Amino acid sequence: MNRNVQLLWNGLIPENPIFRLALSLCPAVAVTTSIKNGLMLGLAVLFVQVCSSCTVSIFKSYIHPRIRIPAYVIIIALWVTVIDMILPVISPDVYKEVKLFIALIVVFAIIISRLELFASKEPFVPSFFDGAGMGAGFCFGLVLIGAIREFFGAGQIYGYDVLGFKPLLVMILPAGGFFVIGFIMATFNWLEYKITGKLPKSGGGH
Amino acid sequence: MKEIVKIVLSLTTVCVAAALILGAVFAKTDHLRKVNEEKLREDTIQSLLGYGTGVKKPGDLKIFDVYRYVITDDKGTTVLGYLLPLKEKGFALAEIDLSGKPGKVIPVTANAAQLAEPSSRDAAINAALPKGSKATYAETLSIANLRDKRLGYVVPGSTQGFKEAIKLMVSLDPDFNVTGMAIVEAKEDPGLGAEIQQDYFRNQFVGKTVDLLKSLKVIKEPLPTDYLEVLEPAKAKKIGLTQDQIREIKQKHVKDDIYALTGATISSRAVTNGVKDTVRKFVYRLDILTGALKQDKLQVAF
Repeated sequence: MNRNVQLLWNGLIPENPIFRLALSLCPAVAVTTSIKNGLMLGLAVLFVQVCSSCTVSIFKSYIHPRIRIPAYVIIIALWVTVIDMILPVISPDVYKEVKLFIALIVVFAIIISRLELFASKEPFVPSFFDGAGMGAGFCFGLVLIGAIREFFGAGQIYGYDVLGFKPLLVMILPAGGFFVIGFIMATFNWLEYKITGKLPKSGGGH
Repeated sequence: MKEIVKIVLSLTTVCVAAALILGAVFAKTDHLRKVNEEKLREDTIQSLLGYGTGVKKPGDLKIFDVYRYVITDDKGTTVLGYLLPLKEKGFALAEIDLSGKPGKVIPVTANAAQLAEPSSRDAAINAALPKGSKATYAETLSIANLRDKRLGYVVPGSTQGFKEAIKLMVSLDPDFNVTGMAIVEAKEDPGLGAEIQQDYFRNQFVGKTVDLLKSLKVIKEPLPTDYLEVLEPAKAKKIGLTQDQIREIKQKHVKDDIYALTGATISSRAVTNGVKDTVRKFVYRLDILTGALKQDKLQVAF
């Protein structure tokens, strides 16, 4: 498989930021009470991740290794603020929906860890695809969690009533977020065991 | 030593570059953002008055903006100044001191377009004031007339939310009953406090009278199903409730307190207190303003 496609796929499933890398679980629990919330935050993260990864990979040789972390934080904050200023001008309607989520992004573990682990060592093109893959994987994770929680907690899909009643209110509450993420992680591990016959390696989270 | 210089230079470069980019973007977008915000404000006012998207605005609907300023003179005394559109052409700044006694009326030379723009409005008012006095903008009250009859008021307010201030707008009918509430700006948590934007929460304030507002509380009880259905116009339409049924259910619940949002009692309470405060202050201020206008024999446009 082409390396760039491989990178995209990697971020989406085999190294999914939420279910495999266990990064940025805090927003993944807090925001995903509905598909729409998950999707909005996911898209915002996708955009910031791609922009930051590209910026870091272009300027990596100019950033002194001792101060790379503050430099990365400034780059992420720069992109977040730029979006926060440009979006209300380009599209006030979209901004109205996503402005709550944009300000949250600056300190997401997933973004800074991809800059540190990937973009600071690799050239522009792979960094772009790694950022896109990781962002898309994060977005996919949020939407999946949001869909399960919204369906069971509110009986709705994307704001539309499908059940007409609320089967499990706990799913909308914070505890439900932990349940859902735990179950999906277990499913991912089980699938990997079925396919490769090996138990997955344990990893750290933030 | 060389290493230190390198590190300092590297980080400084990053910061300066970021600052330059942010400054440039801000300079480019600031004006357009303000224009969009102003348009959003006008849209919010119109939809609160019942002329939102899909409803045609009648031609004889007139919305007058009254700007409230805080004026400090060279001796340090503070008075309130209301910038009013006059019946004859022009605008005047009516001063009212903090105890509610009317003071001077100062004519302000400017046209409507100049007054709509915050910076030129500030300049016009400060130019009209005697030397040494300084006016600071406080808020804009909107007064709506339909066919020269009072239709209602739209009043801005703000309240401390879960993390940051929540800015809201309340619309009132001529008897100061709440006819609508909109959240203009809030940074509450998505999925929890951000639900204050939803119809089923906002519309709970509709129909509350001044007396009901005085004792209004937030209660942690589930929202009754029939009430929820009429609070969301889309839902009521889907179920097929008639106008009479909707009115009847609303009437049944009009004396209810505000039902707290699940997992966001603080935000619910913040908005409720914000609405109570905003209405209370507005009723008090408008009373003083009307009295002062009568005493000054000032003919205003509204």
